[in-house]
Amino acid sequence: MLRKVIPVLVVCSLLVLLIVPGCGGEEGNVIKIGVIGPMQYVQGEHHWYGATMAAEEINDAGGIDVDGEMYTIELIKADSNEMTSPTDAAAAMEKLITVDGAQFVVGGFRTESVFPMIEVAMDEETIFLGCGAATESLCQLAVDDYDRYKYWFRVTPFNSTKLVSNSLMTLGMAGAIMQQGLGLEGPMTVAILAEQAEWADGMVAAYQAYVPAMLGMEVVGTWRPSATATDLNAELTAIEDSGAHLILTILSGPVGIPYARQLGELEIPCASVGINVEAQKDGFWDATEGHGNYETTLNTYAEGVALTSKTVAFIEEFQDRYDQTPTYNAGTYDAIYLLKEVIESTGTMDTDTLITALEEIDYVGAGARIVFMGTDTTTPHDVTYGPGYSTGLATQWQDGEMKAVWPNLGVGEWEGVTYEGVVMWQIPDRVIAYYTQD
Amino acid sequence: MLRRLLKDFQGDVLAIPGRLLALIFFVILFFIPLFLQGSSGSYYLRIFIFANMYVIFAVSWDLLSGYTGQLNFGHALFFGVAAYTTALLNLHLDWQPWLTIPLGALAGVIAGLVVCLPALRLRGPYLALVTLAFPLILLGIVFAFTDFTGGELGISGLDRISNSRTTDYYISVAVMIVSVMIMWKLTDARSSLVRTGIVFHAIREDEIAARASGINTIRYKLLAFAVAGFFAGIAGAFHAHFMRIAGPSNLELTLSFQVIIWTVFGGITSIYGPVVGVYILFPLMELLRVVPEVRNLIFAGIVVAMLLFMPEGIAVWVRDKIERECPRCKLSNMAFRKTCRACDTPLYERAVD
Repeated sequence: MLRKVIPVLVVCSLLVLLIVPGCGGEEGNVIKIGVIGPMQYVQGEHHWYGATMAAEEINDAGGIDVDGEMYTIELIKADSNEMTSPTDAAAAMEKLITVDGAQFVVGGFRTESVFPMIEVAMDEETIFLGCGAATESLCQLAVDDYDRYKYWFRVTPFNSTKLVSNSLMTLGMAGAIMQQGLGLEGPMTVAILAEQAEWADGMVAAYQAYVPAMLGMEVVGTWRPSATATDLNAELTAIEDSGAHLILTILSGPVGIPYARQLGELEIPCASVGINVEAQKDGFWDATEGHGNYETTLNTYAEGVALTSKTVAFIEEFQDRYDQTPTYNAGTYDAIYLLKEVIESTGTMDTDTLITALEEIDYVGAGARIVFMGTDTTTPHDVTYGPGYSTGLATQWQDGEMKAVWPNLGVGEWEGVTYEGVVMWQIPDRVIAYYTQD
Repeated sequence: MLRRLLKDFQGDVLAIPGRLLALIFFVILFFIPLFLQGSSGSYYLRIFIFANMYVIFAVSWDLLSGYTGQLNFGHALFFGVAAYTTALLNLHLDWQPWLTIPLGALAGVIAGLVVCLPALRLRGPYLALVTLAFPLILLGIVFAFTDFTGGELGISGLDRISNSRTTDYYISVAVMIVSVMIMWKLTDARSSLVRTGIVFHAIREDEIAARASGINTIRYKLLAFAVAGFFAGIAGAFHAHFMRIAGPSNLELTLSFQVIIWTVFGGITSIYGPVVGVYILFPLMELLRVVPEVRNLIFAGIVVAMLLFMPEGIAVWVRDKIERECPRCKLSNMAFRKTCRACDTPLYERAVD
């Protein structure tokens, strides 16, 4: 009996799946915006959360005014499955635009998948506001063929080459504070600890060249543990033996947890700054059982830090709703507001008119003041980086709280650049104890 | 002449339900664009184009692992090698897809022969593990020479196959049908044209006996790997041009396992099994986008349920329901016939009173 019933059930469920997508309600004045991302991961989840927050706020306030007529926003969620399959991501994008009728798209994360997603959006002449992939080359497409790739803009994050700049400035700040606070003489010494990943290779090379050249510090060695390593005893002992004052990290994988825990447990007399994605997460303190104290990492948002006049309210609302601190992927919030801004200012939904408006926009979002790079630059439509624009943050764990510590104490064009809520970077107790002992 | 062809067609195709269904399926494929008009049509055609590429890919796995018994857990290697080859040739030498796709397929042949070298000495799980390692090695090379391969970003900006989705679709259908027909003929144990089919069967069933019978099994295993590499390469190269990117995902284990799932679901060692498997499972994943949270769960549930109740594969299960092989002359007959259409032998044993 079961042998006959199961195939029938399967066929019936397939028929239902065929019919369901065709069912739809009546449509009024609606602007359809697709939100695409890896929805099974935190990145896609935050794409959706950010966009939902913006859409609900806008709809509650009456919607978008298009030349005197009010439109409400309808979000369409698309799971790109882009971590696993770029093929799937491209199909999801095409369905979003051609079948579900998205007039604009926000989101995207993994570069290898975002490339084909951009191709689909460009084929369909649909504005695609990127909120995840940081690769510089995505914005270089328009240099060779502007007419085809003019529909692509990157709202967040700033491109990956700028991560090196921010890391170096944070390192410089920490080094200066340590020299002054501990009375250290001579050049500061730095150990580079980077996970074994292709994205880190270029950064390692840049650090090896720029740390001595720009900061006058000495690189004592480079260690490359696996991104999933669970024991860094050997690396940390070797770093301690090298006499490094600072460890410059490039860690995105789960290795960030055992690294920070063992750094504290073994009382390695080095301060740690750089990129440690695990330290950006709310659960980092518990995961390291408090040994991750003083871990410093580049970040996007921090509680109570006003990157712009809208940041604090955005983070509080996000935390209230979702009980999480937003990641940069929640920049879809700003992307939706950008669309509202240009649609209302032009009074039209004509794509070319909106592109011109986006190219000229100067908008203060929750994450940064957003101005797109000009068409005469090497990265057209990329979000502008630097003081007064998108800068990012560095955060440090200080006694169980994630505090913003950079931008602060900058030099050159960064002199005086900081935000309300940024506190002073702290030298770890173990480092103070080591250098002040008799 | 024409009358004879018509008679053969009647006897070899129309009289066999499985082949009749395959014919209807192929004919329908040519008319699909007529029913897929409007902006959403391009999305549905994209799904069919992907399905056609993956059909070639899956059938090539069936030829190698199903027919010849060379269990390959790293079939994505051929797909990826061809994708990268075609991408590099297109991007750096500006060669057009009509040239880069065959050259990509040839790179697949070379990859097949390289993998075959250890395969000559290994069998079963040992061979499977070695084949699993090859795409991982190539992935390592991709990440080691990022200036050349683009690293994790891949090589993007490839030329399109054509400027029309409908043209892309028809090219994919034509390539798929020709490829499947060639592989079907190569594996047909009853073929009077080539004897590869019966030899592949023999190697899978008992390689030592085949060798003892005077068959140069090494030559045939090399041939199987080369042919599988060629057709998987065509799929990979076509995929790269259609997506306009070749990247590490073309070599990932997920792809190697997907091809096995498609083939086993449809029916291994059948050629038409992988065709059915891909054409059901690939669009199914698209349909399941309406429930993204449980998409993979439902997919896995359906695959497991079908394999539990149709372990031989859905296509083979259906064939067994609609066809009956004559116990005497081995000719296929429609299931409702009581006697063989050729020798009149009863197709079903009479119930014993």
